[in-house]
Amino acid sequence: QLLTGKYRDTQTSITDSSAVYRVSSDKSANVTLIDLPGHESLRLQFLERFKAAARAIVFVVDSVAFQREVKDVAEFLYQVLVDSTVLKNAPALLIACNKQDVTMAKSAKLIQQQLEKELNTLRVTRSAAPTSLDGSATGGPAQLGKKGKDFDFSQLPMKVEFVECSARGSKGEEGDADFEGLEKWLAKIA
Amino acid sequence: ERGGNNSFTHEALTLKYKLDNQFELVFVVGFQKILTLTYVDKLIDDVHKEFRDKYRNEFQQKGTLGLLNGTFDFKDDFMRLLRDAEESSKVRAPTVMKTFEQSLKSQKTVKCMIETRGEKPKEKVKNKKNKGSKKEGTEAVAAPGKASAGDKQPSAAGDREELTKDEILQKNREEFFKRHMKAGEKSSKSPKPDAQKEKGKKPRVWDLGNSNAKVLDYSNSATNGSAETCPVEEFDPDIALGDRNREPGRLYDLEYESDDEAEEEKVIQNPSKPSAKKGGLGGMFGMLKGLVGSKSLTREDMDPVLEKMKDHLIAKNVAAEIAVQLCESVAKKLEGKVMGTFTTVTSTVKQALQEALVQILQPQRRVDVLRDVMDAQRHRRPYVVTFCGVNGVGKSTNLAKISFWLIENGFSVLIAACDTFRAGAVEQLRTHTRRLNALHPPESHGGRTMVQLYEKGYGKDAAGIAMEAISYARNQGFDVVLVDTAGRMQDNAPLMTALAKLIAVNAPDLVLFVGEALVGNEAVDQLVKFNKALADHSMAQTPRLIDGIVLTKFDTIDDKVGAAISMTYITSKPIVFVGTGQTYCDLRSLNAKAVVAALMKA
Repeated sequence: QLLTGKYRDTQTSITDSSAVYRVSSDKSANVTLIDLPGHESLRLQFLERFKAAARAIVFVVDSVAFQREVKDVAEFLYQVLVDSTVLKNAPALLIACNKQDVTMAKSAKLIQQQLEKELNTLRVTRSAAPTSLDGSATGGPAQLGKKGKDFDFSQLPMKVEFVECSARGSKGEEGDADFEGLEKWLAKIA
Repeated sequence: ERGGNNSFTHEALTLKYKLDNQFELVFVVGFQKILTLTYVDKLIDDVHKEFRDKYRNEFQQKGTLGLLNGTFDFKDDFMRLLRDAEESSKVRAPTVMKTFEQSLKSQKTVKCMIETRGEKPKEKVKNKKNKGSKKEGTEAVAAPGKASAGDKQPSAAGDREELTKDEILQKNREEFFKRHMKAGEKSSKSPKPDAQKEKGKKPRVWDLGNSNAKVLDYSNSATNGSAETCPVEEFDPDIALGDRNREPGRLYDLEYESDDEAEEEKVIQNPSKPSAKKGGLGGMFGMLKGLVGSKSLTREDMDPVLEKMKDHLIAKNVAAEIAVQLCESVAKKLEGKVMGTFTTVTSTVKQALQEALVQILQPQRRVDVLRDVMDAQRHRRPYVVTFCGVNGVGKSTNLAKISFWLIENGFSVLIAACDTFRAGAVEQLRTHTRRLNALHPPESHGGRTMVQLYEKGYGKDAAGIAMEAISYARNQGFDVVLVDTAGRMQDNAPLMTALAKLIAVNAPDLVLFVGEALVGNEAVDQLVKFNKALADHSMAQTPRLIDGIVLTKFDTIDDKVGAAISMTYITSKPIVFVGTGQTYCDLRSLNAKAVVAALMKA
């Protein structure tokens, strides 16, 4: 479902659920892309490992299944955002709405709105959760956005962008991946 | 973290997998469950080895890009391996490995058993699998041992068939005499018990008459003892000698065994089936030799460390079987992995174990109760939580704590007193209700009483009370219903049935198992039996099982926090709350890292 990181190829076959692999792309500068597995039991583990080193984070969202999984997506995104290391480094964040070639895909705007709403509620519930065993609050000190106002992605300390992309491309399996937005963004941050 | 098993069954298919830790590959074989194909393990090992050898360079050079870009033209090789494996499994001539050994020992010369063609590859592959299960280390050792042979016999499976029989025989002889001098590796003995089990009873061979006393001295050698219980088939050793189909691998094993017998050492044997477990302690000396060359982790290196870790975990109140399984899965995960230059085995193992523990404790799915309550609010139905557990773990106390927390967050709570058995249960809950209402008077919540108690006295049917409570809550617009049940032992069948009925009939949103942190090995039993009862007595297709765990009395244990691990491991459900005292504020959520740190602390 959601992979933090990205791979870069025109292949359509994707191995999910286990490997962490590094792909280096080349724009003007060299950027190493790391793809992290999205499986629920694995995602946090790998996030821990790589969050300190991340210059930027690409959060890939399945635009088709988004409606069903919005809570899960929001929760994972919340975890990424609330993490103290992430907040400290404030890497650029790109939310890539993938699978735009499928007709049912939601637009980036819609996804943004939904995520903001969900994160809004999550803020409240998470900070109200019982404090952790050794006293450190679970979601406490990291308060996303401004209190009192509805959550908005612009309130985050990092730059957030939304981009639509499609790994398959509109021509079907063998078509070129539709990565323009992604590539441009990569070039910007490199 | 559950890497201990290597097979997975789903509907009609069974999947067996094998990990290659060095290159981070997984080889999976799927087959229909009803066919018990014995060659599956072999096949997967063959495939693994061949694939790795073939594409080793690509992996090393290009890393991931190699994986992505390389086209793996493996189909032909795979078909070939598959055919070989199938062939070998079909033919089962009743020749016994034991026969061979016996004759071998008696004659102390190279002998071959009468076998059909098909048998040989099977045995050979078995041995290869056995050796293959030690990955590089073993092969590194085996290779020098077979240096004279000069071929990569332990490695490529396919190559075997290509050696002509004469060559094989010749090589065997050479190797045999060479290896006869060396201290033997005992690991290869394990195929023998395998072979024994598969053959039936055979009449004893008569050529033992000219064997020396050593051979007949069954009591000494451990492997001999186990092997010789099977009577051996009649056969003529001379004919056996002339048999062309001897594969090197078989001879390899036997030589070691005869070496062993010659020395009459009592090296610890590892007779377990190589398919399931990897490694034999008997090969320790060989392993040490192999260590000098490459730095990949082998079972032998990890065993002492794992033993220590296992004891450490058990000392920290982790259930014994869980600790064993955990160490097993860590071993599987690390086996064959190439270590960095400056890391010790201990640190690698500790690290892996720590990761596995954190992984276990971290919830797979969301554990946000408030969120779910809000959802239920939106649909205008109450969110039902049921507490179950054995006697005296703190259900009622923690129920009160949780209702306090919910009220603090602005949800109204209805407590259903479905504990109709224990004296004073209803009064206890009534007292809690009164105190909570005093703390949160209706005035401060817009005129709503935040907590109410729904009770019907003692001796009534719990499931019925629960149902009425839920409909009452729906009518009155309560947000949450907390159902308190009586404590019951997991062995008490009628009570378990009653609980299962309550849960099945009322379909609560959340079933919480309340367990105390002081419990030790009992935790496993409790949870397993509870889940089983819930599953058995539910009529539905997908029964409601335990959804979460409340770990209570956490303040009474200092750092012996192993119960948390046992419980989450067994159910793979998250720990939703942790109870740390007897006042309303003593409710916490789990911090996986802190718990693991406490666990791993010396």
